[in-house]
Amino acid sequence: MIQFAYPLALLALLAVPVILALYLLQPRRRRVVLSTTSLWRAALRESERAVGLRRLLRNLSLLLLLASALALGLGAAGPERLASTSEGADTVLLIDVSASMKTRSGIGTTRFDQALVEAAGIVDGLPRGGRMLVMTSGRKPVLRTGFESNPDALRRALAQLRPGDEAGRPREALALALALLQNREHGRIYFLTDGAFDGDAHPDSPQIEYRIVGNRARNVAITRFDFRQELARDDHFQVLLTVRNFTDAPVAVPASVTLGDRVLFRRSLELAALGEQTLVVPFPGRAIGPAVARIDVDDDLAADNQAFAAVNPPDSLRVLLFTRGNFYLESALEALPGLELVKRDWSPGEDVARLALLHDVVVFDGVAAPKLPRGRFLLVNTVAPGLPFSDAGRVERPGILGPGQSALMRDVDLTAVRIGEARRVVVDRPVPGLQRLFRSRETDLALALLDDGLKLVYLGFDLARSNFPLQAAFPLFVSQSLEWLRPRGEDRLSAHIAAGSTHAIHVLAAGTPVVVHMPSGNSETLVAKDGPLQFDRTADAGIYRYTVGDAERYFAVTLTDARESDVNSRWRSRGQHVTAPPASDGVKAFVPLWPLLLALALALLTVEWCVWTGSRSGA
Amino acid sequence: MAPNAPAAGEFVFDDEFLRKLERLELLARKIFRGLLRGEHTTPRRGRGLEFSDFRHYRPGDDFRHIDWNIYSRLDQLFLKLHASEDDVTLHLIVDASASMGFGEPSKFDQARRLAAALAYIALHNLDRVGISAFAESLGPSLPPIKARNHMARLLAFLGELPCAGATGFGTALRAFAMRARNPGLVILVSDLLGAGDAYEGIEALRHGGHDVVVIQLLAESEIDPPLAGALRMVDGETGDELDVTVDRELRGLYQHRLDRHLQEIENFCRRRGVEYLRASTAIDFEDVLLKYLRRGAHLQ
Repeated sequence: MIQFAYPLALLALLAVPVILALYLLQPRRRRVVLSTTSLWRAALRESERAVGLRRLLRNLSLLLLLASALALGLGAAGPERLASTSEGADTVLLIDVSASMKTRSGIGTTRFDQALVEAAGIVDGLPRGGRMLVMTSGRKPVLRTGFESNPDALRRALAQLRPGDEAGRPREALALALALLQNREHGRIYFLTDGAFDGDAHPDSPQIEYRIVGNRARNVAITRFDFRQELARDDHFQVLLTVRNFTDAPVAVPASVTLGDRVLFRRSLELAALGEQTLVVPFPGRAIGPAVARIDVDDDLAADNQAFAAVNPPDSLRVLLFTRGNFYLESALEALPGLELVKRDWSPGEDVARLALLHDVVVFDGVAAPKLPRGRFLLVNTVAPGLPFSDAGRVERPGILGPGQSALMRDVDLTAVRIGEARRVVVDRPVPGLQRLFRSRETDLALALLDDGLKLVYLGFDLARSNFPLQAAFPLFVSQSLEWLRPRGEDRLSAHIAAGSTHAIHVLAAGTPVVVHMPSGNSETLVAKDGPLQFDRTADAGIYRYTVGDAERYFAVTLTDARESDVNSRWRSRGQHVTAPPASDGVKAFVPLWPLLLALALALLTVEWCVWTGSRSGA
Repeated sequence: MAPNAPAAGEFVFDDEFLRKLERLELLARKIFRGLLRGEHTTPRRGRGLEFSDFRHYRPGDDFRHIDWNIYSRLDQLFLKLHASEDDVTLHLIVDASASMGFGEPSKFDQARRLAAALAYIALHNLDRVGISAFAESLGPSLPPIKARNHMARLLAFLGELPCAGATGFGTALRAFAMRARNPGLVILVSDLLGAGDAYEGIEALRHGGHDVVVIQLLAESEIDPPLAGALRMVDGETGDELDVTVDRELRGLYQHRLDRHLQEIENFCRRRGVEYLRASTAIDFEDVLLKYLRRGAHLQ
């Protein structure tokens, strides 16, 4: 394989026709008159009858000039040839650890086993002075070593590798590998993969050498599995299950779903060739606990024959209230079920962003609110800086014109509400997420804002100077505002994430220990610092259980990715090098060819000079 | 017109040339007659009464001239030669084609000097001498005359001969053979380059009853051409052009072709009993002449 570092320099090859033109336009032949040319004609005929080499040699000078021009032109374009090299070169050994690498390939081996053999061969061929880095490509690229020149360290890193249940994202891994080799001469990437990813999922680069492992395989997979609560029925749930046949023949697949110890259903699915079937099965009762879907099929990839989900009891609503004391508001909040209220005095040094992460809603009541970060906020009789609306004074006894059309104001009757004094606010910059809840003729009295991660409800008057808290509308307004800020149904959905991604565990207090029990049987204790814990050791599919204090909760890690379950290679070469050479093939690199071409051009010019001087002396 | 070809009338036999002729005449007087009468196996030889020489019998010779006395003693056939009492006519045929204008001096000048010298010597030996020139066809001729005062006309004729045109050996020599009434000794002076019908012409002369002597003149530039590099060669007779790059190899091939050409002519002449002499223009004409005459003397 040859590439050009400076393809534009190939324009130098235009020198070839120039030389030809100069040759054809060279000074005319000397004219000589002879007694007869018959003998010369005969000699010439005899010469032309001689072997073709002689004819060739007659134009040797021209041929040598053309050849040297070609060599110089090509050399200027900086050609590089892919070749085994004994020079020190940096190499990235990138190994696909996505779920499809678990596919059977041969008797008792998987594609990953084959990739490891390839990898060992490449490490064995590491030249003296060369360095190699091992990294894996799963959902995220992971560096397993630095650039190592010690083959034993590389072998140790390889020995620790194993495929996960992650859906692969080779583009990210290859982009990182290319970035690692940026500005490194002779840099080379070996990507050991089964090619079970879409054709456009890899970048173009001649530095990448694909080594495709594995054969065609047959697979049937669970591609979707989820729970949801039926609309407006707390005690009825639905389970969603999709099974897809990736083989060319129809199959009958027994499928079952269990929730805890309870078998929700068991039935046989008839799948056409390359077909899929989706089931939505309702069932009564509370759905809490770990759930597993299984299909009983003997295919080449077992990892996607089961899927996981987890349904946890609803979390309590964590509300932080900054107030100087507001009996009505505190009473309304404490009256709401499933709400944990924390009341504090506001001090300007508080880290609002951290507090917003730790709590579902933060309430500022009558205190000077700071600039608000992302999060959910309720502002009562205060305006924070940086909002689309700002404080513009006071309004005495504003008359309420009536509620707006917002869902927050559903069934909120403001007819009897009287307000002694309200803040006058001016909308400085209209944003699409700003809605008026209710207003007087002079000003907006209540607003809701949804803007780039900020969710906010504003109530623009002192509750103590109105009869609003005494109306039935007040607790309804508070309840609907909190429901809008943090819908309670969110935590009733199945908690599951894709393998390899990060799961956030919310812990109220910093320093709280969290013990995570993994499907492998191992457990890990984490300590919360600021904000939710980010748990990322999720390469294996299964049910993850964690305890925070006395509370026990679950989250599920699952594969359920139709692209990953399509285990046959969809990779298509777009000019990149792909081989399956012997394992001991060793490391290759792009070797520059310009010195060779320059030497060749000089040699040709020297020979041409000798030929020219020889012909001159012969004359 | 060839580069070195003198215009008609420009050629002058100067005093120096004439003094050379007189000197040559003294040298040649004894041997010239032997040349004319001793070597050539013509039907006319031996009809005289004066014994001249013996020589080995050759196929075709008249049996009547075999010396049976020698045969009985030596068991070998010898021919008894007699000096002819007939007048000998010397026909000088000069090639005046354009190719003769090459060389330094030109082949044409050399040919005219040779012809003049031969004519001078022959006239002093009381033989008839005629001169003809040819190029594409038979050109101007001076009929054979036996008179010493004929020399002036002869020199004037030679001096005014043009040198131009292609070579037409066959046409010209056939025409000469048909026109010549007195068969005799024909001396053809030519470079024998150009057209390939020289053999035909010489055969025609032989069939006309002539003894034929061919003197081939070549310029040094034809024997060893000082040519190299990219050239456009122009044929001096036909004007044909030939683009060629002369290198050592091609020059070798040319010389090989030239040698083969000369050898073919020499072999042809030998097979036909035609005396053949090759000379370069670099050699002075009297040296050529003496060489020729001495060869004849040696054979006598």
